[in-house]
Amino acid sequence: MSNARLSGAAQGNARWQTPEAARRIARRNAAERRFKLIGLGAIVLSLAFLALLLVIMLKNGLSGLDWSFLTGSDSTDPDVAGVWGATKGSLLTMLVTLLLSFPMGVLAAIYLEEFAPKARWIEWVEVSINNLAAVPSIIFGLLGLAVFINTLGMPRSSPLVGGLTLALMTMPVIVISGRNAIKAVPPSIRDAALAIGASKMQTVFHHVLPLALPGILTGTIIGMARALGETAPLLMIGMRAFVVTPPGGITDPSSVLPMQIFLWSDEIDSGFVQNTSAAIIVLLVFLLAMNGLAIYLRNKFEVRW
Amino acid sequence: MILTGVLLAVLGLGFVGWFAARGRARLLHTGRGSLHSMPSYHGWHVVLWIVIPALLAWAAWSAIMPGLVDGAVMADPAAAQLPADAMSRAAVVSEAKAIAQNPDQAAFNPLAQTLAEPVRAAHQRFGLIGALLVVIVALAGGGWAFTKVRANYPARTRVERAVMGVLLLASLMAILTTFGIVASLVFEAGMFFKDVSPIDFLLGTHWSPGSARGDNLGESFGAVPLFWGTIYIGAIIAMVVAIPLGLMSAVYLTQYATPTIRKWLKPVLEILAGIPTVVYGYFAALTVAPIFRDFAASLGMANPSTESALAAGVVMGVMIIPFVSSMADDALAAVPRAMSDGSLALGATKSETIKKVLLPAALPGIVAGVMLAISRAIGETMIVVMAAGAAANLSANPFASMTTVTYQIVQMLTGDQEFNSPKTLSAFALGLVLFIVTLVLNIIALRVVKRFREAYE
Repeated sequence: MSNARLSGAAQGNARWQTPEAARRIARRNAAERRFKLIGLGAIVLSLAFLALLLVIMLKNGLSGLDWSFLTGSDSTDPDVAGVWGATKGSLLTMLVTLLLSFPMGVLAAIYLEEFAPKARWIEWVEVSINNLAAVPSIIFGLLGLAVFINTLGMPRSSPLVGGLTLALMTMPVIVISGRNAIKAVPPSIRDAALAIGASKMQTVFHHVLPLALPGILTGTIIGMARALGETAPLLMIGMRAFVVTPPGGITDPSSVLPMQIFLWSDEIDSGFVQNTSAAIIVLLVFLLAMNGLAIYLRNKFEVRW
Repeated sequence: MILTGVLLAVLGLGFVGWFAARGRARLLHTGRGSLHSMPSYHGWHVVLWIVIPALLAWAAWSAIMPGLVDGAVMADPAAAQLPADAMSRAAVVSEAKAIAQNPDQAAFNPLAQTLAEPVRAAHQRFGLIGALLVVIVALAGGGWAFTKVRANYPARTRVERAVMGVLLLASLMAILTTFGIVASLVFEAGMFFKDVSPIDFLLGTHWSPGSARGDNLGESFGAVPLFWGTIYIGAIIAMVVAIPLGLMSAVYLTQYATPTIRKWLKPVLEILAGIPTVVYGYFAALTVAPIFRDFAASLGMANPSTESALAAGVVMGVMIIPFVSSMADDALAAVPRAMSDGSLALGATKSETIKKVLLPAALPGIVAGVMLAISRAIGETMIVVMAAGAAANLSANPFASMTTVTYQIVQMLTGDQEFNSPKTLSAFALGLVLFIVTLVLNIIALRVVKRFREAYE
């Protein structure tokens, strides 16, 4: 009886030790390694593309980055042209965007997360926020053109209109990240504040909001970085004017950094290749700094409850 | 100008009011529980009563002031010489207004020059009246609220009710934006469809708005080549690049990479998504397109164009990789652990488990992610503007120049033409189509993702 079982086991073992079985196992292991290599290859290929892009921009543009380039404004002469005018336009536009979208986004996030009743129209708000976050940016440009310029008669090409348009685009991003940050604050904080007699409003503004603020700020910076690199909606509202002097205020015609890149990329003079790449480096440095700040804020203030 | 200055004055008044009311409320404090609301709430109550009525008055006055100025200018003796025809009259008046704003400007019409002075005077007079009105309203509101500073006055409740109203308004902005988009697109597209029938627009195969004139407008606005170019570049070429690379990156990062490698590689991969599209567009036009052109020439094609669907599509695909990768990442993470454990326990290798169990189980989530990626790709503008070209070709040759919906929107709206021509209006019709398609893709994808998550919970 036990003999038979033993011989069965031996037979079983023997089945795994035939050359044919060994070949099959080797084949499956090879397939395993191949699959893993394909995965690694996919990542390496993507990153190689990124590296190629950065290297080409650095190679073309680094020699053009000097003080006169950083302080000059647009010009038809590639040696004189600089990015300060466009940078100032970008800063003014971002200022308008931030001043509008940050308070609006945070207040909407607070309402939806803390006060909103379970009602039909709240669902509509949520659906439209999620959809706005995915609407192509060029559609916001059409909205800006039709509403701000043609209906309300605001000055074309101005940071005011650009900032308004980008604020509408950035607001959903801030609302979504704000809601997640507020949701992450544990209910015990609210219970504690309510238990010692704070009103619901005091609980939210004195306790929940400060704890959620690092998360909200991270989302805001990421949304602003996206707005800073955006070109298509600004093209719609005419921010492609040739502007030689930096804008003095938010109603002056101006250009923005990505738009300057686009305009220079169209120039035939080969001197502008260097300018375009140098402007791209400036833009990427700004974006890198903003994203770095967002990561720093997240790591420094993120609380694990 | 005066009206802008008065807003600062109102804010200053609010500041003063806050301190005054808080100070007075503090004097009322006689011990624990003697006040209904904390002193600072009385301060805020006064601020609200100063700022909100003043802002309303300011908005109302800004709305009626142009009418008043016009009335005063028309009553001026200089206006008697104005032409009777309403249109040329409006032109002169608007020129006079521009001169009043900016005296250095040269007058095109001598009449405008003489009229500029009355315009300026009227502006000044009504501006001053408006400023006084706003300040009076602010003082009245603040004064009334200040008399309410009493120990038992529920200032906190009132302030909180106002804050609640502000919160509500902020969350309504999203609906307002959506409504604004739909309304402006539908309105302008409706004007376009008055001239061109929607059937010609959606089914016509000839797109040449430049030559559109006369009665046969419909023949020049056939958008099928645009739709084809958009689908070919965004949904076919870009996806051929993005799906394999994104999916395999996600598989490697979630299944094979050690936590340390994952922690480093994932953010670096995300950089691809953070690079502005104008940079990709420049890269496509400067580096990628010439490579493909030379490749096409070496295949024996006669004068291949620099602008090719392939260059735009490939670069767009690379841009989408991190997006597909993170969607696939989520989908793979949602598959229950027990399923892959079961497969491994039966003796399948890891790659067999991934191919036969994990990926099929995660398929709905991955498909939804791909749909979202497509909706992004077809709405992408700068890459195609800079690399895909303007020719409305209905061809399957990836090396041919091809145009897309977004490219044509940009093209139609950046030239110098009057706003209400069919050419500019066609951009809004294209925008409407783009909006509807991306909306439908997003709604379906989000629904699939939701149902998929529920299936495994």
